[in-house]
Amino acid sequence: VFIEGMTCMSCVRNIEGVISVKPGVKFIKVSLEKKLAYVKFDPSVLTVEAVRQAVDDMGFEASLDQ
Amino acid sequence: RHEFSMEMTCEGCSNAATRVLTKAGGTDIVTDLASKKVLVTSDKSSDELLEILKKTGKAITYVGPVN
Ligand SMILES: [Cu+2]
Ligand SMILES: [Cu+2]
Repeated sequence: VFIEGMTCMSCVRNIEGVISVKPGVKFIKVSLEKKLAYVKFDPSVLTVEAVRQAVDDMGFEASLDQ
Repeated sequence: RHEFSMEMTCEGCSNAATRVLTKAGGTDIVTDLASKKVLVTSDKSSDELLEILKKTGKAITYVGPVN
């Protein structure tokens, strides 16, 4: 998931913290530099669009393509 | 018009607050990092706005109505 609007590591940790506790999310790693989140999730619980939507609801501009 | 107190540490946080409130139809949004203040005009109730702001992952409390 591509993410716009993160300005520092506290933004990164905030996103990782909120998304990682969502049901179905197995792993998340956010790169501030690359403006990118790598998310591993259970496809029977979540879709990639649902993950994008959750990041977007946090107030960051999230998209699936660059 | 509503006032909230929100744990904001950087511009990313205040921009996030502005963005979620804008998406929810809020207008006249003012955020202040130093005083942790968020002001918004909206038809939504304070509870609805609180739920929307909570999704940012930040500690947030409702201060009260303001003019
Ligand atoms: Cu930040
Ligand atoms: Cu921040």
